[in-house]
Amino acid sequence: MEKVMSNKWIIALYVLPSLLLIVAIIYLPIVLTGYYGLMEWDGISPMAFIGLDNYATLMRDEKFWSSVNHSFLFAVLSTVFLIVYMSVALVLSGNIRGANLFRKIYLIPMLLSSVAIAQLWLKIYHPTTGILNDLLTTFGVKETPDWLADPAIVLGALFVPILWQYAGFYILIYYAAFKSIPASLIEAARIDGASPWQIAVRIKVPLISEVIKVTIVLAVVGSLKYFDLIYVMTDGGPNGASEVMASYMYHKAFRGFEFGYGSAIGFFLLLICLVATWVIRRLTATKDTIQYS
Amino acid sequence: MKRKKLTAFALILALILIVSACGSGSKNGNSNGGASAGNGSNEPSGEKITLKLMHLWPDGSNSAQNKVIKQIIEEYQTANPNVTINTEVLENEQYKNKLKVLSASNDLPDVGFTWAAGFMEPYVKGNMFTSLDDLLQGDLKDKFVAGTTDGYAFDGKTYGLPVELNIVPVYYNKEIFSQNNLQPPQTLDELKNIIKTLNDKGVTPITLGAKDAWTASFWYMYLVDRLGGPDLLDESIANNTFTDPSLIEAAKQAQELVDMKAFVKGFNGLSNDEAKSEFMNGKAAMYAMGTWEVPNYTTNPDVPQEFKDKIGYFKFPTAAGGKGDVSDWVGGVGVGLFVSEKSKYKEEAKNFVSFFVQKWGEHSVTDAGIIPATKVDTATVKLPQMFIDLLNELNSAKKVTLYADVQMKPVASEEHHNLVQALFGKAVTPEEFAKKQEDALKAGK
Amino acid sequence: MTTAETAIKRRKNPASRSIGGGIVYGLLYVVLILASVLQILPLVWLFFFSLKNSQEVFELPPFALPSKPRWENYESVWSQGNISKYFFNSVWITVVSVILTILLASLVTFAMTRMRWKLRPFVLGLFMVGMMIPVHSTLIPLFNLFQKLHLTDNQANLVLSYTAFNLPITIMILLGFYYALPREVEEAAVMDGCGVNRVFFQIVLPMTASVIVTAAIINMIYNWNEFIFVNTFISSDHLKTLTVGVQNFVGQYTTNWGAVGATLMISILPILLAFLLLSNRIVEGIAAGSVKG
Repeated sequence: MEKVMSNKWIIALYVLPSLLLIVAIIYLPIVLTGYYGLMEWDGISPMAFIGLDNYATLMRDEKFWSSVNHSFLFAVLSTVFLIVYMSVALVLSGNIRGANLFRKIYLIPMLLSSVAIAQLWLKIYHPTTGILNDLLTTFGVKETPDWLADPAIVLGALFVPILWQYAGFYILIYYAAFKSIPASLIEAARIDGASPWQIAVRIKVPLISEVIKVTIVLAVVGSLKYFDLIYVMTDGGPNGASEVMASYMYHKAFRGFEFGYGSAIGFFLLLICLVATWVIRRLTATKDTIQYS
Repeated sequence: MKRKKLTAFALILALILIVSACGSGSKNGNSNGGASAGNGSNEPSGEKITLKLMHLWPDGSNSAQNKVIKQIIEEYQTANPNVTINTEVLENEQYKNKLKVLSASNDLPDVGFTWAAGFMEPYVKGNMFTSLDDLLQGDLKDKFVAGTTDGYAFDGKTYGLPVELNIVPVYYNKEIFSQNNLQPPQTLDELKNIIKTLNDKGVTPITLGAKDAWTASFWYMYLVDRLGGPDLLDESIANNTFTDPSLIEAAKQAQELVDMKAFVKGFNGLSNDEAKSEFMNGKAAMYAMGTWEVPNYTTNPDVPQEFKDKIGYFKFPTAAGGKGDVSDWVGGVGVGLFVSEKSKYKEEAKNFVSFFVQKWGEHSVTDAGIIPATKVDTATVKLPQMFIDLLNELNSAKKVTLYADVQMKPVASEEHHNLVQALFGKAVTPEEFAKKQEDALKAGK
Repeated sequence: MTTAETAIKRRKNPASRSIGGGIVYGLLYVVLILASVLQILPLVWLFFFSLKNSQEVFELPPFALPSKPRWENYESVWSQGNISKYFFNSVWITVVSVILTILLASLVTFAMTRMRWKLRPFVLGLFMVGMMIPVHSTLIPLFNLFQKLHLTDNQANLVLSYTAFNLPITIMILLGFYYALPREVEEAAVMDGCGVNRVFFQIVLPMTASVIVTAAIINMIYNWNEFIFVNTFISSDHLKTLTVGVQNFVGQYTTNWGAVGATLMISILPILLAFLLLSNRIVEGIAAGSVKG
C-alpha cells in the first residue's frame, strides 16, 4: 500500500496539471497584485514605486475599515446561518417524504444570476411599491423604512438576499454529506435505542465534521470577498454605508483610477482571508480526522 | 451503466450544440466581417487594413445609436473598400472597465469613445490618445457647436471629438400641475410652494434616483449656479477650493428641499431607472434629467401618446438675490471619439473619426433623437417641437456648466458622488460637505 | 420520480408514527413548504417579469401579469440580441470547463488524501489560497498574460480561467468527502495488485459520484453566470456568452427591462434542466456508494 501510494510519477501526474494551471492563472495575478500594491499607478501612466505607502494609507483609511467591518459582520452572520442550513439538510436527509423535491427547490435561487436576484430584491425593497413596505402598510405601519437608502439598515437589508441565495448551496453540500453516511451506522445506533435527535447530534454531525470545517471556510472566505449583489443593489451606497472590502477595492481600482491602491486593498483582502482561514482551522482542529471504524 | 447514461447525455448535448450552431451561423453575417468573412470584392488601392472600434451602445438597450453606428460603418467601408471596421460593444460600466484593462495592457482599440475632462485626463497624461487638432483645423473646422470640444482639450491640444450634447431641463407633468392650479416656477420660492401643494395633495413632487448620485448632483449644481453665478463651480473645481459661501448655501438649500420631502421616498436607494418610472407612470410631478430623455416624450413608439402630450419642461428657477441666470444650464458633452496613440493606422483612424463625426451629425438627430455636438440646422430637419425648443434653448444658453463629476478628476469625482448622497441623505452638514469636497479636490487625484 | 418512490419506500422512521412525532413532522412540513415557496417565487416572478414591458415592470406589482402578456419580448430578444450564438457558446464553455475542473480536482484530491508525499500540506495550501483573491484585482494581470500567450479573444482563455478559479472551491468540497470515505475497499484493491490509476478510476471516482455531481452543479452555476471574464478577455461578439446578452440590454440611459427578463428566462432554462437532471444522480450515486461501502 505505502509503496503504491507514494509513487512520485503518479503524484506528479495527478497534481501537476492543476498546479501549473493555478500557478499561471491565479498565482501570477496574486504576485502581480502584490507588486502593483507597492506602486503609485493609475493603470495608465508609468508606475512609480512607493514602497508600503499604499498600506500606510490603508491603515488610516476610515472608509476601508468600515468596509472591513461590514465584511466581517457578514462573515459571522454567514457562519451562524450554516447551522440553519445544516438543520434543513439534516431533516431532508432523513427519510422524509418529498425531500428530493425540497432539496431541488431550495437550490433555485442559486441558479439565478446576480442580475436577476438583484432586480427581484430591488422590487421587494422598493420604498413605495415594494412588497415589503406594502405589507407593512397593511399592518398599519405609517413610516415605512427606506430599506436601501437608510444607512442604518441598508447592510441588513443586503444580507438577507445573499443568505437566501446561498441557502441552497450549503443545503446541497450538507445533504450530500449526510447521505454519504453509511446506512449501517445509523441502523446500528437505532437498534441501540438512540433517538433521532441523538442520532443527528451524536452521530451524523460529527461524522461530517470535515465537511463542516470546509463549509465554514467557504462561508467566511466567500463573505469576506463578496461583491456581486452589493454592487448591483446599492453600489456600496448610500455614502459607503454598504461598502464591503471587494466593492471598495473595485471603486478604488476601476472607478477612481487608483489601481495601485486598489491592488493593495486586494492583496490585503487576501491576507485577511488567509488569517481568517488559519484561525478557523486552529479553532476547529481535532486530534485526528474522524474515520469510520 | 452510469457511464452509458453519461455518454448519452453528452451526445444529446453535442447534438443541441450542432443544431444551435447551424441556426445562428447564417444570421450573423455582417457583424464580424473581419477575419473570416471572405471579401473577394473589388480590389482597392492601398493595403487592406482593419480598424478596431469600441463603443458602448449595445443593440439591446441603445438600439437607435447602435443602428446609426452600423450604418456609418457600412457607408465608410463602401467608400473605403480597403478598410474593415471591427466593432466591440460593451455596456457602459463594462466599457469603462475594459478600457482600463486595455490601456494598462497597451492594447487600446484604434478608435473608441471616452468621456470628457476628468475621466480622460489620465489617458491623455499617459499618452494613450492622439491629438486630433489636425481634424479640427481641417475637415471638421467650424462643424462643432462653440465650446463643445473644450472639455476634450488639455494644454491646448484636443484629444477627443464629442458626439453628444445635452442640457438638463426639469420635465414636468402638465396634467398634475393643472389639476392643482400650478404654474411652472420662476423662482425657487415658487418651486417650494409647488412642492408644498403637491405634498399636501399626496403627489410626489420630484422624482430622483440618487443611488446614481450624478442625478442628485444636477440639483446641487443648479442651486450653486442660481445662488453663486455661472462660473463659481467651474472655478472652484479648477482652483481646488470649495469654501465659497454660495457653495455651502446651495448645500443648505438642497437639504431644505429634502426636509420638505421634495424628493420621492427613499430616493437615495433608487436607481435613476426606478426613479424615472415614477415620472413615466404619472406618480411624480417633476423630473430633472438630460435631454437624452426627450425621445421618451416625443418619438419613442413604446410610450403612449397621451403621456407624451402631458409632458413639458421648464428651466431651473432662479433664486432671490442669487447671481445665476435662468438661461444658465447644467449639461455638456457626453461621450466623444478618441484615436489611440498606439494605433498602427493612425491616419486611417483619424480619417474614420472625421467621417463618423460628420455622418453622425446627419443621422443622430433624425434617426436616434440624439443631439449631436456638431451644429444642427433646425430649419432643414423635421423634428418634434420639444426637440426644436430645446435646441433653441441650447443655442441661446448663456452658459452650460459641465457636469461636476465629469469636471473632477476620477478620485474627486467618486468622492463627489459619495458626498452628494451624504448631503441629500443628511449624513453630513452643508459645511462638512464643502470641507470634504475641498479635501478631495486638494488631493489632486 | 424514481427517487421520490425510493424515498417513500425507505420511509420507515418509527418516530413519524407516534402522535407527538406526527405534530413535529407536521410543523416541519409547514416550515419546509413555506421555505420552498419562498425559494420558488423568484422563478415565477422572473417569468412574469419577462412578459412585461419596461413600464409595466415598474408599475405593476411583481406578481401580477400584464393585461396582455408580451411574448414578443422573447421573439425580439432571440432575433435581436445574438442570443442563439451566445447560448451555444455558454453551453460548450460551461460543459468543457466543468468536466475539466471535476477531473483535475478529483485527481488532486485523491493525491491529497490517499497518497503520501512531502509537499502535500504546502500544495494544499496553494490551492486554498486560490479561493481568496477578489476577481477584479486579477483582471489586468490576467489580460496581460493572455495577451502574451496570444490567447485574447479566444474562448480557450475562458475555459482556462474558469477551470483555474473553480479548482480551489471544487477541491475544498471534494476534500471533506474524501476524508470521510472508507478506505477498506481501496486497501483491499491494492492488496489484490490494483494500480493507483485503477483504484482511482474504478473505485474512488464512482464512490464519490454524489459529491462529484454536487460539485458539478455548483461549477456549472458559476460558469454559466460569469460575465466579468467574458467581457474582459473576449472582444468579438460571436465569441461571447449568454450573460453578456443580458448585460447588453442594460444600457446607460435606456433600459429595456422586458427584454432583460426574457433573456434571463432563456438563460435560466438550460441550467434549470441540467440541474434537475443531474441532481437525481446525487441520490443514485449515494445508493451505489453505500452498497460498496
